Amino acid sequence: MSIDINTILMYLLYALVFPGLLFSSVFGLWLAGVDRKVVARMQKRIGPPIMQPTYDFFKLLGKETIIPANAATTTFMLAPYVGLVSLVVLALFIPVGGFQAFGGMADIVVVLYLLTIPSLSIIFGGSASGNPFAGVGVSRSMVAIMAYELPLILVLLAVSKAVSGNGMLTFSLEGITTYQKLNGSLLFDWRLLPAAVAMLLVIPCEVGSHPFDVGEAETEICEGPLVEYSGAPLAVFKLSHAIKMFVMTALFAALFLGGIATGMLWLDIVIALLICTVVTIICMSFLHAITARLKVEQVFKFFWTVVSGLALVSLILVWIGI
Amino acid sequence: MFKKIIENSMAKSPWLFHINAGSCNGCDIELVAVLTPKYDAERLGFKLTGSPRHADIVVVTGPVTAQSKERVIRTIAQVPDPKVIVTLGSCPRSCNVFKGSYSVVGPLDNYVDIDVSIAGCAPKPEAIIDGLALAAAVLKEKRRAK
Amino acid sequence: MGLPFIKEALTQLFSKPSTANYPFVPREAPPNYRGRIVFHPELCINCNMCERVCSGGAISHSGVETEEGELITRRFFLGACTFCAHCSDFCAKNAIELSGDYHMVAREESDLVVEGTYLKKKPAPKPIPPKPAEQAKPEPVAEAKPEPKAEEAADPACAVEE
Repeated sequence: MSIDINTILMYLLYALVFPGLLFSSVFGLWLAGVDRKVVARMQKRIGPPIMQPTYDFFKLLGKETIIPANAATTTFMLAPYVGLVSLVVLALFIPVGGFQAFGGMADIVVVLYLLTIPSLSIIFGGSASGNPFAGVGVSRSMVAIMAYELPLILVLLAVSKAVSGNGMLTFSLEGITTYQKLNGSLLFDWRLLPAAVAMLLVIPCEVGSHPFDVGEAETEICEGPLVEYSGAPLAVFKLSHAIKMFVMTALFAALFLGGIATGMLWLDIVIALLICTVVTIICMSFLHAITARLKVEQVFKFFWTVVSGLALVSLILVWIGI
Repeated sequence: MFKKIIENSMAKSPWLFHINAGSCNGCDIELVAVLTPKYDAERLGFKLTGSPRHADIVVVTGPVTAQSKERVIRTIAQVPDPKVIVTLGSCPRSCNVFKGSYSVVGPLDNYVDIDVSIAGCAPKPEAIIDGLALAAAVLKEKRRAK
Repeated sequence: MGLPFIKEALTQLFSKPSTANYPFVPREAPPNYRGRIVFHPELCINCNMCERVCSGGAISHSGVETEEGELITRRFFLGACTFCAHCSDFCAKNAIELSGDYHMVAREESDLVVEGTYLKKKPAPKPIPPKPAEQAKPEPVAEAKPEPKAEEAADPACAVEE
């Protein structure tokens, strides 16, 4: 097996610059800024500047890092970086405007597994900190993960079934985008409309946005698993949160609005990023502005009845092939 | 250059942590009023955090009571450096009308150094914004001195 | 789940925010706002009523002996003030005022202090009651040095001027 130096350099470029670390951080922080600004405007406020999450990130880098005496130091310090790396890898797998750095036969499954790692890293970091608030937050985060995993899997199943027709299930994001380029975006397929709505509700829970942020409830349990973090690790967690926004909205864009193709790659990418912003505004800012935080059991019930029900309706409609 | 970016960010995103050291609730309400749509301190980057580990500015209200003294000192010690301590209202500065009470062991500067004090009983939200802006400037100064 | 704020959120997104952009748009305090204390030392008659009614113990005074009398400095520490305006209500000569200035933010304790100095003149020496036999003139005022006891005995309200 010959390894070309150019290939290595290209993959490094992918991982560090374009869909990887640098681009996803910058765009994710921008999305987080847009989110805060739009929420503020919906609440009759002026709101922070769009650069605010960037300022927060750099400020946290300049703060002292305190490690609690009864924390498991290695896990406590490594957890945020594990989450960040898995998110950057995730960004490589998700096609942005038809551009995908890594592809494969069944990358949806990879995406599904990788999506749990950031949440798990928060759980590991929280439980390593040895704080009782973090303990409560960890158990709540686990409930939230269980709540959104089921509808997410159902949505992905419905989409792949719709794409593959009568043949074998297509678990490839590239296949899904190619199908949409040929047959039009899946959002305009009425059978998949309930699944799209379910996906829009899964995104805020996955990201930890407002009505579903049970794990990081700052007024009740002092931001839950993040309670003991300070300085650079906290900055990395905030960055992961921002990248997660980008990844989840890009996943939505790839699954349901992948059919927009102008022929020029950069224009496709710009359109995909615009879609990401709009999805952020609809499913995170708008929901944040109009709702208050739900209780843990309410989140669980809501996701396993309403959201899963919506996804299931789509799946059945697709499966019986109307 | 990187140092300069961090310094500028310090002044632009100060996060607050609020300690009630036996306050009568007047100043607490005014502090919350600063975050409402009418005054909206978030446009200057201020944010109320839930954990002292995330905070940059510690806002103390109330004369330090015997019960709260231990907690105030411990909470302030948990805030990572650089940090700024702001006293809101007259009570933490001088115990105000509670001076001489058997349950009051203040004022706060017996225990920690106060960086910025906002006078008033209770201060107007505009005065609180002034004070917090000054505290953010002090934060930047402290970071530069480090 | 009722969502009563959908319309509100959407209309507000496209209308003007209700925020008063404070540090960039200056703002006056409402009339009769009780803010920073303004002290007029030339009106003070040193009755100490303000000190007696002050609940926070914010008012104090200290004196320095000089040739002409006692230079008294009245000191208002705003860090201990309740802004109840009792001092100005009880002031017989309206020497204390509470202004509308609310910018009381300080890094040093000295920035929160309002001071005023005035002179408490020494009382004129009591004229020696002329003996009917001698018909002597009373002594000139400046030359006689009164005894401390005489000063204490004098009624402060009458003795202090300026």
